[in-house]
Amino acid sequence: MRRLPVYLLIDTSGSMRGEPIESVKVGLEAMLASLRQEPYALESVNLSIITYDGEVKQVLPLTPLDELQMPQITTPDSGPTHTGQALKLLCERVDREVRRSTPDQKGDWMPLLFIMTDGKPSDIQLYNEMIPEVKRRNFAGIVACAAGMNAKTEPLKALTDDVYSLDTFDSTSFKQFFKWVSDTIQTGNRSVGATDDLVLPPPPAEVNVVC
Amino acid sequence: MAKTIKLTAMDGTPVEFVDEVIGSGAMKDVYFSPDKSYVVGFFRKPQDANAKDRLQNIVGKYREKIFGQVGGDYWENLFCWPTRLVEWEGRLGVVCPAYQKHFFFGKQSKFAGKEKEGKWFASAKLRNKFLTPEEKGTWLSHIHMCLQIARAVRRLHAAGLAHSDLSYKNVLVDPQSGRAAVIDCDGLVVPGKYPPDVVGTPDFIAPEVLQTRALPIGDPNKKLPSIQTDRHALAVLIYMYLLNRHPLRGGKVHDLDTGRDEELSMGEKALFVEHPTDKSNRPKVKNLAPSELPQGDVEKRPYTLCGPYLKELFDRAFIDGLHDPSKRPTADEWEAALVKTTDLIQPCQNPDCEAHWFVFDNSTKPKCPFCGKEYHGQLPVLNLYYSPAKGKFLPENYRLMVYDKQSLYMWHANRFVTPNERTRPEDKKPVGDFHFHNGRWILINRRLPDMWDVTEQPKRQIRVGEYVELTDGRKILLSSADGGRLIVVQLVNN
Repeated sequence: MRRLPVYLLIDTSGSMRGEPIESVKVGLEAMLASLRQEPYALESVNLSIITYDGEVKQVLPLTPLDELQMPQITTPDSGPTHTGQALKLLCERVDREVRRSTPDQKGDWMPLLFIMTDGKPSDIQLYNEMIPEVKRRNFAGIVACAAGMNAKTEPLKALTDDVYSLDTFDSTSFKQFFKWVSDTIQTGNRSVGATDDLVLPPPPAEVNVVC
Repeated sequence: MAKTIKLTAMDGTPVEFVDEVIGSGAMKDVYFSPDKSYVVGFFRKPQDANAKDRLQNIVGKYREKIFGQVGGDYWENLFCWPTRLVEWEGRLGVVCPAYQKHFFFGKQSKFAGKEKEGKWFASAKLRNKFLTPEEKGTWLSHIHMCLQIARAVRRLHAAGLAHSDLSYKNVLVDPQSGRAAVIDCDGLVVPGKYPPDVVGTPDFIAPEVLQTRALPIGDPNKKLPSIQTDRHALAVLIYMYLLNRHPLRGGKVHDLDTGRDEELSMGEKALFVEHPTDKSNRPKVKNLAPSELPQGDVEKRPYTLCGPYLKELFDRAFIDGLHDPSKRPTADEWEAALVKTTDLIQPCQNPDCEAHWFVFDNSTKPKCPFCGKEYHGQLPVLNLYYSPAKGKFLPENYRLMVYDKQSLYMWHANRFVTPNERTRPEDKKPVGDFHFHNGRWILINRRLPDMWDVTEQPKRQIRVGEYVELTDGRKILLSSADGGRLIVVQLVNN
């Protein structure tokens, strides 16, 4: 059985401290709870979480949905946002964790990537270097979410066409965002159009489609 | 509190719904009526005149055709059929009855309140890891579910309609009671008249559709959903409910690129995992997760365990007809084969067996294929014969396995009676029953007016309320009416 690897990259830089990061955690918990009620997700979804601030950590290695426990997610008082480092770690982990097809064994589904930030990469040079690396990993979909007024969408647009912005930081909008992430994860189970490729479900009202 | 919106449907009747989305599908957002007796699903995208016309036909002409006739209410349980159309803020909505209660997980369940989507019961991993034994039902209840699905699809096809998106997502099931209902009937297509808006759901899309999906709409070679592709999806559904694995998802790697591999293994290069001669797509047990076993192992759980009638149809669906749609079995044939299969079924003697029932394998040493328990004791097998002309009887490849407290029905006694939506209420009642009584197998006649033991001359009538012992070689005429059947008893000793 092919697994569906899902990578979540979450900005934990100083500006996320307080209500923003708490809202993200609430949203994540709600998403996990709802995915665990979905047969398609329970059968195939494997989830990994990478957090990034001045430091980059894979707080959750790729784990089947039904076996995982929410890791501790903490934020420093202040400091840079090493998005480039995060992409680098992502590539390493994808190479190690996602099973490639061999002539003898079917590999995993192409992975999905969700990246969330409230600012911009501090390590922009590395970030730009990593973009072609990420693209080479053949993600089935990359969705970026720019949260709050200070989030820059330009760097994210270099990574993916699916960039969304959340104006507010409250738990309702994050919940909606994660609800939509969970819907996206399940698109593989949906009816397929007569011509188009798999399309993302429409974003919730609170999410602005940037491009 | 969300507010209630009051509208008038296109047929002039009132429609109300609570302005709060309860679920979103690929095409629609769905809302509950205040009393939750129906739902309204609004298409997110504007529907063109053609789509509107198609939907008008579904809620109008075709609904009347199926539900408006004598016995039409039979179908209310087998379909969740749109009843009305409504417009709101420029969006087109369809009104549908709410799903029946038994199609939701109960309060005690981990999944309380969620719909019983077929996937839960078709996937080995989900069954093995997440469902309780009660939620799983028995193998017989799965046969019953498949029977209802086949019957519903047969009815659609008889009306000239194709569902176009049959999948375990669009069929709700309840293994506890053996019931099933086809939902999402607003995508129905009339071949040649209405272009379908979906090609199906992965796992159920027919190979020829997937193979030609890249062609532009309007290309004469592009294959779109039709009755023939429904037949493929129906066969996949039945295979998955009965065996808990996909008939085409095996070990063969066609391409190292996952997307391309999927396209080939479900499309152009699709190959039955249990193909008798080309074994290249056999699932590799070493590559399967423990939660996918034993169902994933085709050696341990071959499809032949479904019995001879279903095996033949699986062969036609996945070997002869996989790439030749005209050879696929019809829904009608599936229905008949499933009915006949229930007559071959035996209770497993192992009280802990998860399947509880299995198909008699026609051997002298019957054994449950699910738990391995051998059957001990005498097993009566009734071979059914029909009479093409008076006094002459021919076998018809039809057997009835007997077990304690089993019932005999009119469709066993007379070959012109078929169990389906047209069965008369009096024909639904058992006409006799079988018992293992004081060490002997007996058949008690309850309602057959002229049942005869014709083993020897002179023949002896078995009146209502009397019994006949089932001994090897006994010949029992169940009815001398036109179509009446003769039983020849065979006893298997273990």
